[in-house]
Amino acid sequence: MCETCGCGNPDGFKIHGPYNTHSHGEDHVHEHEHDHGHDHTHSHMHSHDDDHQHSHDQTHQKTVKLNIDILSANNLTAGMNRRFFEGRRVLCLNMVSSPGSGKTTILEKTIISLIPSKKIYVIEGDQQTHLDADRIAKTGATAIQINTGSGCHLDSKMVETALEKLDIGTNSILFIENVGNLVCPAMFDLGEQKRVVVVSTTEGEDKPVKYPNMFETSHLCIINKSDLLPYVDFRLEEFIKNCRIVNTDLEIITVSAKTGEGMDKWFAWIFNQLKK
Amino acid sequence: MHEFSLAQEVIKLAEYEAEKNNAHILSEITIEIGNMSGVDPDAFESALGLLKEGSILQDAYLNIIRIWGRGVCNACKKEFEMNQRMDTCPECGAFPSEIRGGNEFRVVSLGIYD
Repeated sequence: MCETCGCGNPDGFKIHGPYNTHSHGEDHVHEHEHDHGHDHTHSHMHSHDDDHQHSHDQTHQKTVKLNIDILSANNLTAGMNRRFFEGRRVLCLNMVSSPGSGKTTILEKTIISLIPSKKIYVIEGDQQTHLDADRIAKTGATAIQINTGSGCHLDSKMVETALEKLDIGTNSILFIENVGNLVCPAMFDLGEQKRVVVVSTTEGEDKPVKYPNMFETSHLCIINKSDLLPYVDFRLEEFIKNCRIVNTDLEIITVSAKTGEGMDKWFAWIFNQLKK
Repeated sequence: MHEFSLAQEVIKLAEYEAEKNNAHILSEITIEIGNMSGVDPDAFESALGLLKEGSILQDAYLNIIRIWGRGVCNACKKEFEMNQRMDTCPECGAFPSEIRGGNEFRVVSLGIYD
């Protein structure tokens, strides 16, 4: 239920923004989105009225074969998002990680470095607050916040809805900062060109084998907080070995968003994607 | 929490397909869940059991079929059943070069009353 006006959001998520340095200070616009682009209705209560003839006679049963992938609805919308990005020549990167790996800080530093030459947009995903979108807006990029409420991942429909509000320009970069979670986001294609998994040196070198789905479906792994390597038991070689077990094609970069070490390699990787 | 949103997707799907077939009540739904799909079958079945109340699946039998992935060994080419993505060949300990199945998460069929 919405605290502002007491109504309910049938889709379960809320969008705040867009925010940029010009709109700073304005409060968020509370949007209620309704299901669109889908033929079927929301799952609402069916009352079993008396006018239905309930025949529980087993002999009049028939089986309808479907073989429908349950995640196909998400994949369909993801495909549409992907075509949209291609049409507008937008490089879309889906940033995934567990909470606290430093995704937002990496994005802040990245935007400051790239924004002179590229228009940058960010879709932020969190359960609550627009704290991250506010941080991003201060850097000069345009940010929009999705609050999932009890949801644990972003899906392609949320991204589609956010894109309608964002009005992305051509030849730009869109970062999607997913909800901090190394499990569920792995299953949901958002329509991104590449998926980037961020891990920090304080998290443990066995992450890739413990969360194989995430590392298998990613294209680049950023190891952040390299400045803390002298103080933790994280062995880079072991981590890379574990990555290779799960995904032989995974590219790996080590950075410190705080000190700037290695960030030039990350920027170079981004520019490489722009050429494709 | 995650399995709840997946169960909601299934209910939406069932209602949509049932309407297409002019069905008002479903007797059964058959769902395949691969052991490496990322979906926990027990949690999913519980979630669906709870959420189906008041929906077209209210009285339907939930036929959840678990599928085990099979790996083909990179070294000795033996096919073996996989319990987890990181399983190795029981003969020689190598990783599989190919994984067949185990990633399913689909609605196979609906049982409708004619």
